[in-house]
Amino acid sequence: MKRWPVSYVLSAPVAVLALLPLLVLLDLGASAESFWDPHWLDVLGQSLALTGLTVVGALLLGVPLAVLTAYVRLPLGALWLPLLAAPLAMPSYIGAFTFYAAFGPGGEIEALTGIPTPELRGLTGAAVVMSLYTFPFVLLTTRASLRGLDASILDAARTLGLSLPKALWRAVLPRVRRGIAAGALLVALYTLSDFGTPAIMGVDTFTRVIFVEYNAFGLSQAVMLSLHLLVIVGLILFLEGRMGTEQEHPGRTLILRPGRAPAIGMMVLVFLVFGMAVGMPLGLFGIWIARDGVGSFDPMTAVNSALAAALAALAAVVLALPVAYAALAGRAGRIIDRITYFGFGVPGIVMGTALVYLGLKLPFLYQTLLLLVLAYTLRFLPLAVGAVRSTAERLDTQLAQAARLLGASRGEAFRRITFPLTVRGVVAGGALVFLEAMRELPATLLLRPTGFETLSTELWRVYEAGYFGRAGLPGLLLVLISGIALVLMVSGERGLKADLIENRG
Amino acid sequence: MCSNVNRRDFMRAMGALGVMGTFPLSGFSAQANTGEVPLSVESLPPLEGELTLYLGRGEGGLYEKVINAIRKRNPKLSLQVRRGPTVALANTIAAEAKAGVLQADLFWAVDSGSLGLVSDAGLATALPDDLLAGLREGFRYRDWAPVSGRIRTLPFNTDRVSPGKIPDDIMALPDTDLTVGWAPAYGSFQSFVTAMRLLEGESATRQWLRGMKARSRQYAGEFGVVMGVSRGEVDIGLANHYYTLRLKSGQPEAPVSLAFTRDDAGTLLNASGAMALTERPIAVNFIRYLLTREVQEFLAQEAYEIPMVNGVALPKGLPDDDQVQPPSLELTRLADIRPTLDLMRDAGVL
Repeated sequence: MKRWPVSYVLSAPVAVLALLPLLVLLDLGASAESFWDPHWLDVLGQSLALTGLTVVGALLLGVPLAVLTAYVRLPLGALWLPLLAAPLAMPSYIGAFTFYAAFGPGGEIEALTGIPTPELRGLTGAAVVMSLYTFPFVLLTTRASLRGLDASILDAARTLGLSLPKALWRAVLPRVRRGIAAGALLVALYTLSDFGTPAIMGVDTFTRVIFVEYNAFGLSQAVMLSLHLLVIVGLILFLEGRMGTEQEHPGRTLILRPGRAPAIGMMVLVFLVFGMAVGMPLGLFGIWIARDGVGSFDPMTAVNSALAAALAALAAVVLALPVAYAALAGRAGRIIDRITYFGFGVPGIVMGTALVYLGLKLPFLYQTLLLLVLAYTLRFLPLAVGAVRSTAERLDTQLAQAARLLGASRGEAFRRITFPLTVRGVVAGGALVFLEAMRELPATLLLRPTGFETLSTELWRVYEAGYFGRAGLPGLLLVLISGIALVLMVSGERGLKADLIENRG
Repeated sequence: MCSNVNRRDFMRAMGALGVMGTFPLSGFSAQANTGEVPLSVESLPPLEGELTLYLGRGEGGLYEKVINAIRKRNPKLSLQVRRGPTVALANTIAAEAKAGVLQADLFWAVDSGSLGLVSDAGLATALPDDLLAGLREGFRYRDWAPVSGRIRTLPFNTDRVSPGKIPDDIMALPDTDLTVGWAPAYGSFQSFVTAMRLLEGESATRQWLRGMKARSRQYAGEFGVVMGVSRGEVDIGLANHYYTLRLKSGQPEAPVSLAFTRDDAGTLLNASGAMALTERPIAVNFIRYLLTREVQEFLAQEAYEIPMVNGVALPKGLPDDDQVQPPSLELTRLADIRPTLDLMRDAGVL
């Protein structure tokens, strides 16, 4: 009989764990009194409206900026892409929080400059904020596709008399449809799962209504809504899984050198987008600190945030290792790998709801740090698996085999060959999980142990109480810590690329 | 004294509070002097040991200051605080007890309805007589101690609305052309709807909620409502009295003033309160701290809440007006919030 690889034995329980929230929800849902409430049609409508508007907004921002960063040579070339990707490092609820406070009559902008601004609330406000923080998904996927195109077709189109914009529209964009669609689906997924922005802007999406029902202890309503949301999310994940990337023969990448005035215009545009998404919130936090001070801030909230996120990063990496190796070992392993991806599709508020009830059933878990870390881990495990797997994939398997041949045991080969070579992926994966767990809001609100306040719950409290001035330091710290994790991750990937190039040379 | 105060007692209590008949509250101060002198923290035993407090909405840090002061005074007290919406915490306590994992030793809620919910679940520890004795007559409950009082009000934007345009009947509000800010997720608001349900009936309340939905704008909390009124986002709001007084103390020029309806849910007098959920004496002793002269004076002067022990002066800024007439409704009846939530859910305002 063929022996199962160790990685299978170790990763199978992880897959079962990943399905835990769904099992809890199904168990609760089975005993629900009603499966449908006419009011929920409204919720569905609002959720889809916000998702649709956000996708449109993200496309309008993301596609032109993708063309710009893919093809246009601007001074300080390496600066522009990171500036435009930076909004991804900010939790969108920070944007919602600051936009909510900045705009409208009597808002911070009017208070500072005297210029009246229109109010940014409700569906419009939420869609503007969500677009501003999700367009980098479209930017990155579209740009990757654009970079893979051969410029000669565009040249041909231009030779045949099309102007540059027309040629881009007719001869380039149709060829990156899949890249654009992949980005749009990511935006849709993110928007459907997001809790903070619709909650702050007052849009009755699934996530917000689940929270309201949970708070009113409409248990069965919260569970049924969660299951409905999971179905929609599952549909989007399914579509996303079917999205391939375009395969074209590689060729010369197009390079556009704009004149002085257009170049300045483009740089101003990039700064404008960056300024709105990142500069404005940071500036407002600074102003609040200057005005209201930091007296009411409890430094333990920062410690708690970092502690819970670090534990989750550690747990996720430990669980990710066997899953990543199993995925490379064979078909069953790939299925296990797919199952652990489930958590990423579970919105935080749904994960929180499921685990609260798990805690009520298993008292030793209830309101413990362990349960909170478990929520983070299950939700963000796919990030760690993906990072570990992608470095492991690049490994030369013969190295480990050579070690075995030279007499090393399975364990020793792993310890001395395989693991050290995947350590970069482990660090990158851990940093990603840390980054996401730090800024997680809804599951944290539901699951945190008593007395355990984090930076994100502190921001939520300030919002609920209406004392925006006290958001300065927690907000700034949240962005700062996220930024550090992002830099770690990016530098980890860079180092990896450098290694590969060295090895090749 | 049983926990169900009869109507006459309640009316007398209203008289004692000065909110019925002559609201200028001058009669109240005189009466207050005849009451017992409230205890000082100096006379209380130090608190030692572990205590878990569930705090329903932190009132923008003012309750936090009280808690921190108590912590500072009692270095051997290890106090954990869980904050959340009042109703959510009440329901959490009930769910915890049902699952046998009750974590909270003490529940301090901004709203008596939530306290009643926990009390109805039979989870409260009876309070000792000597603690009840210091409380205002008519507010002595066996299961929980009122900490501070608050009145429902209609804050209005003085630049946009003249007081004459505001109806003195809360049920007439949907028929006006005023835009209204409200915070339906807030416990005090839900108690107000419960009061309306009890006073006017289910169908009238449902109609009121539906009528209001079209002209209302939702806020996360009632301080937000009052800020929205002062910023002119809406004409009037529905909020507890102290939010407006606090805003005015920070921004005396803010164009907000208070209006009251008459003898209906719109002018409900409600109380925040604390409840012990454990037999351990530390929980009751913590409640004693909340009823000291120092804490009560702080809540009256800084938080503009109505003190609940004898002998503490009322906050400044309540209107000098004899028009304020709360409805007669026993606070314990406000515990019946589940039908209210169903009603609100049904009307699509939750």
